[in-house]
Amino acid sequence: MTTLPLMESALLSTAARSLVQIEGEPTPLIPARLLEAGEQYRFHFDMTKCIGCKCCVVACNEQNGNPAALNWRRVGEVEGGYYPYAQRYHLSMGCNHCLEPSCLIGCPVEAYTKDANTGVVLHSADTCIGCQYCTWNCSYGVPQYNAERGVVGKCDMCHNRLDDGMAPACVSACPEGAIAIEIVNVAEWRQDYLSANAPGLPSADDSISTTRVTLPKNLVPDTGRVDLQRVKPEHPHWPLVFMLVLTQLSVGAFAVLWLLDMLGRGTGLTIAALASLGFAGISLGASTLHLGRPIYAWRALKGLRRSWLSREVLTLSLFAGAASAFAGMLWLDLPGRGFVGLLTFVAGFAGVTCSARIYIVPARPAWFSGYTIAEFYSSALLLGPLFVQMVEGQVPSWVRFAAIAGAASQLITQLLKFLWESRSDVFELRASSLLLSGRLQNLFVTRLAVLAVAGVVLPLIATHGSIVVTAFGAALAGEWLGRYLFFVSVVSKNIAAAFTSGERRAA
Amino acid sequence: MNWKRTLGLDNLSEEYAFARDESTGYTSAKKIPDHWVPTTCGYCSVGCGIEIGVKDGRAIASRPFELHPVNRGKLCPKGLSEHYTIHAENRAKYPMLRKGGKLVRVSWDEALDVMVERFRATQAKYGAGSLGVLSTGQLVTEEFYTLGKLVQLGFGTNNYDGNTTLCMASAVSGYKISFGSDGPPGAYDDLERADVILLVGANLADNHPILCQYLEANRNKALIVADPRVSKTAMMADIHLPLKPRSDLALLNGIAHVLIRYNLVDREYIDKHTAGFAELERFLDAYTPERVAEITGLTQETIFKTALLYGRAKAGFIGWTMGVNHSTLGTATVNAICNLALLTGHIGRAGASPFSITGQCNAMGTREAGFTSSLPGYRKFDNAADRAELAAIWGVDESRLPAKRGWAYPDIVEAAVAKKIRALWIIATNPLVSYPNQDVLRHGLSNLDFLVVQDGYHPTPTTELADLVLPAAIWGEKEGTYTNSERRVSKVNKAVQPIDEARSDFDIFLAVAEKLGCRDELYPEWTTVEDAFNEWRRVSKGRLCDYSGISYGLLAEHGAVQWPLAEGADPNRTSRLYSDGEFQTPDGRAKLVCTDWAPFPEQPTRSYPFVLNTGRTVEHWHTRTKTREVPILERLSPRAWLEMNPRDAKGLGLHSHDSVDVVSRRGRVRGVELRLTEITAPGQVFMPFHFAETNVNEVTQDAFDPISREPNYKQCAVRVERPGANV
Repeated sequence: MTTLPLMESALLSTAARSLVQIEGEPTPLIPARLLEAGEQYRFHFDMTKCIGCKCCVVACNEQNGNPAALNWRRVGEVEGGYYPYAQRYHLSMGCNHCLEPSCLIGCPVEAYTKDANTGVVLHSADTCIGCQYCTWNCSYGVPQYNAERGVVGKCDMCHNRLDDGMAPACVSACPEGAIAIEIVNVAEWRQDYLSANAPGLPSADDSISTTRVTLPKNLVPDTGRVDLQRVKPEHPHWPLVFMLVLTQLSVGAFAVLWLLDMLGRGTGLTIAALASLGFAGISLGASTLHLGRPIYAWRALKGLRRSWLSREVLTLSLFAGAASAFAGMLWLDLPGRGFVGLLTFVAGFAGVTCSARIYIVPARPAWFSGYTIAEFYSSALLLGPLFVQMVEGQVPSWVRFAAIAGAASQLITQLLKFLWESRSDVFELRASSLLLSGRLQNLFVTRLAVLAVAGVVLPLIATHGSIVVTAFGAALAGEWLGRYLFFVSVVSKNIAAAFTSGERRAA
Repeated sequence: MNWKRTLGLDNLSEEYAFARDESTGYTSAKKIPDHWVPTTCGYCSVGCGIEIGVKDGRAIASRPFELHPVNRGKLCPKGLSEHYTIHAENRAKYPMLRKGGKLVRVSWDEALDVMVERFRATQAKYGAGSLGVLSTGQLVTEEFYTLGKLVQLGFGTNNYDGNTTLCMASAVSGYKISFGSDGPPGAYDDLERADVILLVGANLADNHPILCQYLEANRNKALIVADPRVSKTAMMADIHLPLKPRSDLALLNGIAHVLIRYNLVDREYIDKHTAGFAELERFLDAYTPERVAEITGLTQETIFKTALLYGRAKAGFIGWTMGVNHSTLGTATVNAICNLALLTGHIGRAGASPFSITGQCNAMGTREAGFTSSLPGYRKFDNAADRAELAAIWGVDESRLPAKRGWAYPDIVEAAVAKKIRALWIIATNPLVSYPNQDVLRHGLSNLDFLVVQDGYHPTPTTELADLVLPAAIWGEKEGTYTNSERRVSKVNKAVQPIDEARSDFDIFLAVAEKLGCRDELYPEWTTVEDAFNEWRRVSKGRLCDYSGISYGLLAEHGAVQWPLAEGADPNRTSRLYSDGEFQTPDGRAKLVCTDWAPFPEQPTRSYPFVLNTGRTVEHWHTRTKTREVPILERLSPRAWLEMNPRDAKGLGLHSHDSVDVVSRRGRVRGVELRLTEITAPGQVFMPFHFAETNVNEVTQDAFDPISREPNYKQCAVRVERPGANV
């Protein structure tokens, strides 16, 4: 009989058993005890067990009666390595029930609550007005807007099932036991939440996700998402495009009117003031069209303590009120206009600032910078003076130069923002710049050209007449285009998606 | 427009309400049914127990049947959404007859009159064999049994085969040669009990995800996966064998060589229960690790390691699926797998088995009862005693039973091309997506005088070509039994009425028999599927696939049970074949078969530099006639893709998401989304076969296993180019 070569004998002594890790008893999929003070529930996802079958997604949709296009639980893919040492892992994610839920913090109507007992982040469809601000705030793309209902919805950990001692739909559907509910000590987790991070997940820093992810031990370093090359323009939010530019125009115009009035121009400004007021009114009206439930727009004042959206509604309402008073006083030539005009300006300035702050959220990196504020102020500085000049004809030259300054600052803002995005290490920023230089290129170039011509060249060569009318019309259209690009070119943070699915866009 | 909704006063809160139900727990109120109907899943052959939730006569929910022994309270994504397949947009609702070039609605009476008349006229003119029938693995066993008699005895043609030939025929042929009979020897339980599991060309995670539970539960296993692609299953493996395409037979022979050379074989078992060892030993001399390493691209060390692990295992399990079967050497490769099991005695014990994991929900049922590649009850056409026995049971003259098998599926297609088949009846299968080299098939079908397609769905690419479309009831609308991969017979129940004028295949077969005038003779006093089942029990009695102890009553009482189950046997035991070492051969010994490796038929060339591999994705089933109707599955997997290694794409200047054409000598698939991934080896590309819109079978090769007649779907030579490229 042939004897075994040494190498193979050695192999046999380390046979089957040593090749696999023998683990202890499987842990239960839902907690066996009640929560104690300072604890909350959370998801545990075991990436080593998941086979990417997506049972959890189907079960979640069935549990919640959602249409196929909405997936409160999603399964993404990450890949790394080289053939044949390639690895593909899957990432099944519902809501992370964060310690600092950005959805909750941003919500203007307090539709979100973090349950005091379970820590589950809950959303009330009856309170929600469908502003979709939460869908911009969440780095994981968790809240999803249901256009059929006009409200947002999200994973609630099936907490009603948990209360009954039953597993959530995703947990009970998983053939591999890869998803579980467990108890976490909140204070300890806040100190160390490293295991909330995983390839394909945005950083847990944004909101302190509570989901614990068990990663494979031998994950290759280049493991990353597979959906990076599928970047599509985001939803334009047309009512907001119109609303933002018109409020900024109105605020800029009232600032100029106030200054002109202070400098003694007086009653001749009535028409411009009334027209500017009209813009403000139209824009506030238009903004409600963006809501899934416009009739409940008033609720947006509820979240003043936390939500920039609430603050925007308040400050712009104050602006509209003060501007009405100012315009009326101009019309009737009443005294004390200086103070009311100052109020109008302050409220308007605050309104534009609040508007910008809405968009400065970590989940949308291209918006998450001072460029957003600069862009909004520049619109006001360009359009307000240009409008007043068009209506009034003869105005001091500083009005004209204010508009030119606005155009110049907008141009510089746009160019610097593009450079910043294109040189960034952050995928979402680079992707935004690729959209602007790729499929949105013509629109982006047009936007810059309109700024240069309508905002700088035309105001320099003419002070009144059709050229100024043209300049204003073009500049307004240019800012609308700019705001359209602002919305569509943002690439939001999200969990890794599957390669072929159409779920990259959450909102 | 609903103004309340527009204003936001209404947010559809009723539609999205939740409710607590004793049986479902807290869940979406619209998903809570009036009652649940237990049945068996109608997709793959894992054979999961499932319950259909019925409300107001409609199927509105699916959930795992907790008591079913197979799936342990779980389902795959297809099963979890299976109710959507029933009330679907593209169901076949009425009989449709082609008149003046167009399919128009006709009555059942007219449809069946025309069908029988045209079939009879064709047979009268061109001979009985000019009628071909292509069946499926999707019907219930009772229907297969009924159809087999109708085709072979009623219509008198033996040119009858099923799409199982595109799927499991190589396993069937391999088992017959090695063990003397079809019949997978093992059980799912073995996946949990084996200490070494070798999976060859089997991507369980995508194709049989529920079986992964058994792997997960087995904490003491070494899992070895042989697959040229780093499939989901390969990633679960302790050892992945990334072998070159279709080199599996060489690997298996190499393992056998090492086993014999290092005396890791079970001499006692070989001597007592097998024949042909001496020839095999001599034959395997040529499969040295050096040579096998060269053929497979694996290292010698890996080959040794695999052989030693399997040889030294206490209970070694080898599972395989389409990577083995879809090959011109499919049968030979199955024999090589069986050789390994026989050499080591890894068969007939807990955990130890060679085991084909079947495809369709009831491929097993048609293999046992279907009368296509063999006579019912694993009887052989060429065995006079078998024929006599059957004829006696049926009370028909022995001469009416064919003494040899008719044409197999590909031969029926080629006979249509040659105008030897003039009329064809296609039942519950969609060859216009699934048949390799579509051009030949289209040519064949265009030659036909009359094409009948009986299906649950219309339009499908196949029903669109039909002269007559018969609308069939589907899963959830009819009763019967399915038999799964581990020979477990499981009850299929009717939850809702068939939609519109659809009828169960069983009713259609009896109605055809009525028109044909053979109903009373072939199906005396039959009214229900249970009548068919009871006759089938008698036919299978005493055979390897013995159903005689299984009745509808027993299934209701004990749930799904495994065959063989003779009357009075314990229905709850786990059954394994060949535990006693007695095989179905004349001498009772299993055969060790010498099976030579050869390269796959169409090697890559400069013009066609890539080897194209085909397969599945977990969200879809076969040709997607069902799963395209399920919105969530379409959402999760909306289109086909072509996997290519990034290093190859670099040379071609291609990027992920590019739309590319896949071109072979036979055809072109247009506009496939490219996916660059290291999952696929350089020089190889992979594409799923489910999508009619981008049908990979436009380019696959119509080369077939000489024994099983199964197509070589898994390898052919293609090039990949941008759409419109000129070459």
